Amino acid sequence: MNGCENRIEAIERWLDGELSGAEAESLRVHVTACAECAETQRRLEKIQRTLQGALRAEAQQLEFQRFWRAVQIRINEKRPWHREALERLRSAFPASRAAWAVPAVIALLLAAISLESYLPFWRGAGRNSFATVESIDAYGRNVALLREYDTKTTVIWLYQDQEGENEAAEETAPSGPAF
Amino acid sequence: MKLLKKPPLRVLLFSLLSLLVATAAGIAQKQPQNVQVRIGAILASNQNDDFDSRLKPLEKQLRVLKYRSYRLLKDESQDVPWKGNKVFQIPGGRSLMVAPQEFQDNRIGLKVRLTEGQKPLLDTTVRISNKGNFILGGPPQEGGVLVLSISATAQ
Repeated sequence: MNGCENRIEAIERWLDGELSGAEAESLRVHVTACAECAETQRRLEKIQRTLQGALRAEAQQLEFQRFWRAVQIRINEKRPWHREALERLRSAFPASRAAWAVPAVIALLLAAISLESYLPFWRGAGRNSFATVESIDAYGRNVALLREYDTKTTVIWLYQDQEGENEAAEETAPSGPAF
Repeated sequence: MKLLKKPPLRVLLFSLLSLLVATAAGIAQKQPQNVQVRIGAILASNQNDDFDSRLKPLEKQLRVLKYRSYRLLKDESQDVPWKGNKVFQIPGGRSLMVAPQEFQDNRIGLKVRLTEGQKPLLDTTVRISNKGNFILGGPPQEGGVLVLSISATAQ
C-alpha cells in the first residue's frame, strides 16, 4: 500500500486525454518512477487497445452508406398531416401537462353539475319540460291524453261516449275531448 | 414537501380535493321538505266569450282546449310533505287527493286521485317539472266542463 491505488482513475483520465498539461506531466513523472503505476498504465493501455480493435472490427462490418441513405430518405419524406399534428400536440401537451386534464375535466363536470343544482333552468329550454304521465286509470271511462308542443302543456281529459254510462244526466256531458 | 413538487402527486391531490368538494356539495344540496301543490279549478264552457282575468297566466294553455269561456271557480294551495298527501275540495262535490312521490332531476312525481263522492274517477301518476303544471279536465260542470290546473313547487 504505497498510496498508488488512488492513481488508477487519474491514469485512466490521462490515457483518455482528460488531464490538463500540468497534471499530465506530473503523472507522467510519477509513472516513470513508480513500478506499480507503470504496470497499471500498461494494463489499461492494453485494455484500451483491445477495445478499440474490437470496435473497429465491428464498425467495418456495418454498412454506413446504406444506413445514412435510409436516414436521408426518412428526413426527406413528407409525413402525413395527422402524424405531424399528433407530434405538435404531443410537444404542446407533454405527459405531465396532459395529466392535469383529468382533474380539469372533473372540475368542469362538477361546475356543470353545481350550476344545474343551483340554477334549475340552466339546462335550457331545449329540455323536455312536459309532464310525463306514468300511469293512468280512469275506472272504465274514456280518457284522452294531449301534449301541446307550443305551450308544453300536458292535458288529461276524461270523457264519455254518447251511448256510454250517463253519470251526470242533469248536466251537459261532453261527448269527447274538446281539443 | 419535495414530493409535492412532483406533478402526478399534485394531480392526485387536486383530484381528491375535487371529489371532496363534490361530496360536500352533494350533501349540502338540500332535499326539499315539502311540495307546494296548487289547484286551480276552472269552468270551461261555450256559453259566452268571457275570460277570467285571474287566469291570464294559464291563458295559452287553456286556449288549447278550444272552449270560448273560462272562469276560475277556486284556487287553493297547500303544502304537502313528501310521501304524505292532501285532499283538495273541488267544485261539484269532487275531491282531489295529491301525494308527492319523489323529487328527482328537478322533476316532481305526483300521485293524483280524483273522486266524486265516494266514486273514484281517475287515478294517475304524473311527473312534472318543478314549478310546472298539467291540466286535468273533462268532468261535466254547470253546463260546461271542469278543468283543473295542477301545479307543484318543491320547497
